[in-house]
Amino acid sequence: MTNNGTIQRQLAMVFDLNKCLGCQSCTVACKTQWTSELGMEAQWWNVVNTMPGRGTPRDVFEHGGGYDGDGLPIPGRFPSGREFGEAWGFDHVNVYSSPAGAKKPMQPLEHDGESPSWGPNWDEDMGGGEYPHSYFFYLQQICANCNKPACLEACPRTAVYKRTEDGIVLIDEERCHGYRFCAEACPYKRVYFNQQRYVAQKCISCFPRLEAGVAPACVRQCPGRIRHIDYLDNQDGHIHKLVNEWKVALPLRPDLGVEPNVYYVPPLSPLAFKEDGEFDHDESRIPMDYLREMFGPDVGHALEVLQAERERVTAGGESELMDILISRNWDNLLGPFTANPADLKRPPNR
Amino acid sequence: MANTAQSEIVANSGAKGLLEVRDSGWSEVEEAELALEPTPLEKIPSAYVQRSWASRNHGFVKSVNMAAAVVGDDLLVRLRWRAPDPKMNITDINVYPDACALLFPLDSKDADLGTMGSRQQPACGWHWRAGADSAFVITAQGLGSVARVADQGLEASAAWAGDEWHVLFRRPISDSHPAITAGASVPVGVAVWTGTLEERAGLKSHSPQWHKLTASN
Repeated sequence: MTNNGTIQRQLAMVFDLNKCLGCQSCTVACKTQWTSELGMEAQWWNVVNTMPGRGTPRDVFEHGGGYDGDGLPIPGRFPSGREFGEAWGFDHVNVYSSPAGAKKPMQPLEHDGESPSWGPNWDEDMGGGEYPHSYFFYLQQICANCNKPACLEACPRTAVYKRTEDGIVLIDEERCHGYRFCAEACPYKRVYFNQQRYVAQKCISCFPRLEAGVAPACVRQCPGRIRHIDYLDNQDGHIHKLVNEWKVALPLRPDLGVEPNVYYVPPLSPLAFKEDGEFDHDESRIPMDYLREMFGPDVGHALEVLQAERERVTAGGESELMDILISRNWDNLLGPFTANPADLKRPPNR
Repeated sequence: MANTAQSEIVANSGAKGLLEVRDSGWSEVEEAELALEPTPLEKIPSAYVQRSWASRNHGFVKSVNMAAAVVGDDLLVRLRWRAPDPKMNITDINVYPDACALLFPLDSKDADLGTMGSRQQPACGWHWRAGADSAFVITAQGLGSVARVADQGLEASAAWAGDEWHVLFRRPISDSHPAITAGASVPVGVAVWTGTLEERAGLKSHSPQWHKLTASN
């Protein structure tokens, strides 16, 4: 699936959905690092959306892309800027020029002066279920450096490539002519388009930081310590243990066929209530059908393992799994990328 | 009815009244109406594109009118085609502007138009896209290999009126992409992209054969 050879190692990440605060520190860290230039105003390479929800872009999984059960590409569409969420302006002039005493709060505005109708995490904390059984969790999405990157296969110019040394998927902006088939084909809709430069752009896994031994900005800046990064084949590393040994980290929407390398520890559900108001230990608030749709058929087993290991620790026992997920030593989240950017002779190149 | 046989477009010496795309002088210049066809989907080097477009139409534009002239040291080539629903600019991230291009063999006259040349017999071209700041000189060594080259001599201007695009390419006749000699002919192919159908890359209308562009003495 690469266009320049066999993958020697695969970089991967695990996001623990039970720990995300929804604070968007990862989102802002990425924005500050990579997408502050002209033409990138509305690009959010990292998004965190409330689920169940419509996602970013709006109705994120309704736009096609990926592969069907026979491994054939599924036609997709590239949503509009409004569907992703525009970079809003604000009506400062109207506010400042309003007469004294006028009650005119500052309004966000889209490019044509309309009030926004969508944006990243627009349906924040709405979630699903009926009170008192309401529930939600936060879902973080970046480029998943897929084993079968639909973006790569879609590009007729081979402008998309997967690095042999770490499996990171990148767009060669010199080769890209802005056709945007990659953006249609990505089932997670994690490819953006820069109208100023007429090129497709996306998360680059902070590869200049990785090459300097520094973890990606979204990983380092996460106060909830939900993000783990390492090579998938490092048998002593968190990723291998969570994905292959404990089998509690699962791909998002595995039915989409792209074999992503971002994995998720699925959310343990809060307990449901019985009619008398007591906890119902036999029912979870998050419907298992929904979790199976999101994380595949193994999600039930993953949740059972997580619950059992939690209870082991609650009872005073020890659990390697819980130790990994808690990560008392912050460096352990970072795999081999523990260098402090402040200690580098110079910052990584932008 | 567009001419499906090979046409010759002769660039005779003209007056300065041809330097603007909408100059009335162009009405006096003989045009050739060239037939266009949808590009063969199976040749586009992307399984995604082939599957996605198998049930969609492309190649909306069925003919293009080409005229040419030499004014001073410049070669001018004007294209005109019907575009009732133009995409004049990239107004959103999923909008595809109209475009057109001319293709020439770079060296060998045996270069394959259908594959946009090959590694052994490359092609070159002039590409215009609605709303872009400038036209591009391109080279190609087969499908999916188009590269822009630094050739500052090419200019393009365009106007849309009466449901038609008018695009005027202008460059010093002495430029090298392609080399054009007074009195000699170079093969030329044409492609047109209709943005409203989301045509881009290999999804386009094209002339299935080379025509002849001749700069008169």
